[in-house]
Amino acid sequence: MSPVPGRWLAWLLTRLLGEDAEQALGDLEESWRARVGGRRPSARDRWSHWRELGSFFRPSVIQALRSGREGGAGRAGKVAGMLSDLRVVWRGLRRAPGFALLAVLTIGFGIAATTVVTGAVDGLVLNPFPFPDGKRLVGVGTAYPKGGTPLSFFEHLSPAEYQDIARAGSLERVVAWDMGNRQVTFGEVTENLFSGFWWGDAFPTLGMEPHLGRGFSADELDRRDRVAVLSYRVWRDRFGADSAIVGKPVLVNGDPYEVVGVMPPRTLVYGMDLWIPMPIGPEVYPRNRRQFQVLARLAPGATLASANAELEVIARQVERAFVSEVPDYEGWRIEARTWADVNVASLRPAALVLLGAVGFVMLLVSTNVATLLLGRSSARSRELALRSALGAGRGRLWRQLITESLLLAAAGLALGVGLGTLGANALDATVASMAAPLPGSIEVNGRVLAAAAVVALIAGLGFGTIPAIHMLKGDLQRSLKVDGAGSTAHASRLRLQRLLVGFEAALALAMLAGSGYLVHSFRKLSAIDPGFETERLLTMRLSLAQERYAREAIEPFFVNLRERVGALPGVLAVATASQYPPRVFGRAEIQLQDVEVPPGASPSAYVTLASPSLMPTLGLRLVAGRFLEETDRPGSPLVAVVNQALVDRYYGGRNPIGRRFRVGGDELIEIVGVVASTRNVGLDQEPGPEFFGSTLQLPGLNNQMFLVVRTAGDPYQALPLVREAVKGIDADQPVYAIRTIEEAFAESQFRRRVSTFMLSLFGGFALVLAAVGVYGVVSYATSQRTREVGVRMALGASRRAVTRLFVRQAMLPVLGGAVLGAGVAFLIGRAMATLLFEVEPGDPLTLLGAALVLAAVGLLAAYVPARRASRLDPVRALRSD
Amino acid sequence: MSKGDFLGELEQVVLLAVAQLGDEGYGVTIQTEIARRSGRRVSLGSVYATLARLEAKGLVGSKLGEAMATRGGRARRHFRIKPAGLRALEASRRVFERMWEGLDQGAEGHRA
Repeated sequence: MSPVPGRWLAWLLTRLLGEDAEQALGDLEESWRARVGGRRPSARDRWSHWRELGSFFRPSVIQALRSGREGGAGRAGKVAGMLSDLRVVWRGLRRAPGFALLAVLTIGFGIAATTVVTGAVDGLVLNPFPFPDGKRLVGVGTAYPKGGTPLSFFEHLSPAEYQDIARAGSLERVVAWDMGNRQVTFGEVTENLFSGFWWGDAFPTLGMEPHLGRGFSADELDRRDRVAVLSYRVWRDRFGADSAIVGKPVLVNGDPYEVVGVMPPRTLVYGMDLWIPMPIGPEVYPRNRRQFQVLARLAPGATLASANAELEVIARQVERAFVSEVPDYEGWRIEARTWADVNVASLRPAALVLLGAVGFVMLLVSTNVATLLLGRSSARSRELALRSALGAGRGRLWRQLITESLLLAAAGLALGVGLGTLGANALDATVASMAAPLPGSIEVNGRVLAAAAVVALIAGLGFGTIPAIHMLKGDLQRSLKVDGAGSTAHASRLRLQRLLVGFEAALALAMLAGSGYLVHSFRKLSAIDPGFETERLLTMRLSLAQERYAREAIEPFFVNLRERVGALPGVLAVATASQYPPRVFGRAEIQLQDVEVPPGASPSAYVTLASPSLMPTLGLRLVAGRFLEETDRPGSPLVAVVNQALVDRYYGGRNPIGRRFRVGGDELIEIVGVVASTRNVGLDQEPGPEFFGSTLQLPGLNNQMFLVVRTAGDPYQALPLVREAVKGIDADQPVYAIRTIEEAFAESQFRRRVSTFMLSLFGGFALVLAAVGVYGVVSYATSQRTREVGVRMALGASRRAVTRLFVRQAMLPVLGGAVLGAGVAFLIGRAMATLLFEVEPGDPLTLLGAALVLAAVGLLAAYVPARRASRLDPVRALRSD
Repeated sequence: MSKGDFLGELEQVVLLAVAQLGDEGYGVTIQTEIARRSGRRVSLGSVYATLARLEAKGLVGSKLGEAMATRGGRARRHFRIKPAGLRALEASRRVFERMWEGLDQGAEGHRA
């Protein structure tokens, strides 16, 4: 922190003190230098200095300085008046610490919610990419309606199709890339990095300059040189932010590469940490080998619409030329969307719902603080009356009340931003640790702070104005005259308070229903049978470097690994597989024999290559035939086990045992078994057709495999032993992407989980606020009607009757609000439909549940003070004022 | 002596410091002079507020000096006591002396 006041404070001081500010600032600087001398300033030095600075902001100092010079009071007088208002308010709040604390906590929580949600929405949805002119950066996706493949932007294009797309004149700088993992060694450190292999230079396409060094040169790309660019985070976290790395050699899977650049911070494409030129040309790949994605920048003068029109023309040309060879091309589409859209479109509904929820929370917070302020109004009205009698104008009192609200809002803002920053950091850590990191990061930046401040300001004005209007209307001094018993004033206050409580109840019900929908969806989801036993399954990925493992060496490595891991204590079963649910990705076209396929349709299925032990390890349920066996070997007939979804889709549900199909080549594969489908593409999606082949029979097709280990106890306890086993075979072989299958399922529900967690938190908070509101109303009502209670009880009313009276009166606004809230809840449900799973927007069970919870909490909040009132001694009650 | 002419306690202390410092009186030196002689820490804000009142009463005069690097390029405002200031100090001193008359012995006695 600078010893001299920053720009803002200096400006403020100049406004307040006029020409005197110059000398004041000069003196401050001089005394700071005198105090500190040449040494390092201590905390005490700073403290004294800030006290010195603060002394200029005292109202008396400002007034004295201003009136000492010509041009006197004016604006500075106003500021001094404001500061003295602040002092009055501060003293008032110190006299009511409980109220102040409750109000600040309420606002603080609301602002914290605002901060976390706007931080997440800003970082993940609104501004996920720091790419310059991001609106012109587009991803190009394809859809193959014949093959039943919807529009996709991920691992969806073949190199030939990339070259087709690159012909579009409305796109400049079209680049394509494939992804995979590479082991990168720099000095002593070896890291497994998620890598992209590029055709074309990503830097100018993204519109960015490297943080260090440079991007790929055209020559390097043409010659397919061994040059590499690192992501900023890897360079900082793993390679110690050593700027000497540019020009240094690194080993990529054992091959020497030269590091030519480092990406700027946050520039990640699908979490990619290493960027290298694609070592072979596009012409090498067949037309239907689809595993690439395309990024492009719109050419000057082109629009998204003109680009898409041109891409449509290209699609039709390609269809005419190749449809006989690749039947998928019939009716295929190429579509460009902004890169931001491509990545965050799926998050948008959740973001909108959470933003809406935060709006509700802040409305509720405002209403609640308004009722709290109103709750103090009887104490305040006496003070206000006195000040008014002593000559304070209505405007001054008004200003004081608003000052109070704004001070509370400011304190709440500080607390909320603090809490919110913690929350945002926690959420960011969660997002960053996911298997498929979202592009962007969650942080409390200037935009988020500004949003929080604006929300706090609006809330402060909002909750300040309503009680202020109430307190300042009519004859201010009446409470001096009739000793506080102005019954019409109390009636009007109670009316207002009830209205506010009704409003709170409506908001609370809507929030409860909103979170209820999601919780209900979650329950439905967790009731879904994933198709196998997901518990205690540890998975991790191993990529055998092609440079070190020839094809023939791959399966022996994994056989060895399975044997070693299987012998470990606490391991029940072990398998290796190319993929596992809930996220299988390898898909291929299949040609079915003896099955009538509608012309043009091209059946496809997910292909899982695995050790035969995968089936018992996962606990797949056998429906017909047999599992893959150890005896299925290269010499014996090619066999596969299919899932029920494949049978339903392509065999009309009839037993397919003994039927045969082809994948690409000429060899026929015989179906020997059917297993129950797993939720292989996400818990909330219907299972996709899938078949399993044995790596014993088809060895060496995949150098990247997952190890799947079923453990007796906590899966992570087995991890060190498994690592040892890997090291025992190959000391340099890393494992990565370590997670349990349960975690993988949880991650596939990230959007829904975050939304559910936040909305439940907000719902609970809403409930507490509504309860506080109800409690306040009943407390106030009973305190004002003590004498009436005494009369009733003296005339024979039972305690229960008295309790009932108050509870009934308090519950009316709650029920009224609940009815209103139910209507809102229906609309909310429609707004969040994409987040719901088998739950209707107006789900009666959810609405009823929310209403019951609200009513129960409302009853309790009303009952406590009502019962207290009924315990009054009638004689004393009658004597009271 | 009318009420307006009477010097408050802090006013006296600040005015005395200005008188002591001669040509060297400005915010920081006045503050340190008071601290050095009385062990009392007065905030810069209070010093300035008091000086402003003294100037308004015509007891001190001030003029702006040169801009200086040690002050971040800002000028000092030098304060000098005016004859009216000296007279006011004298008057205050006489008031106190008269009030103290006859108590000196006793006070000494208590201190012993």
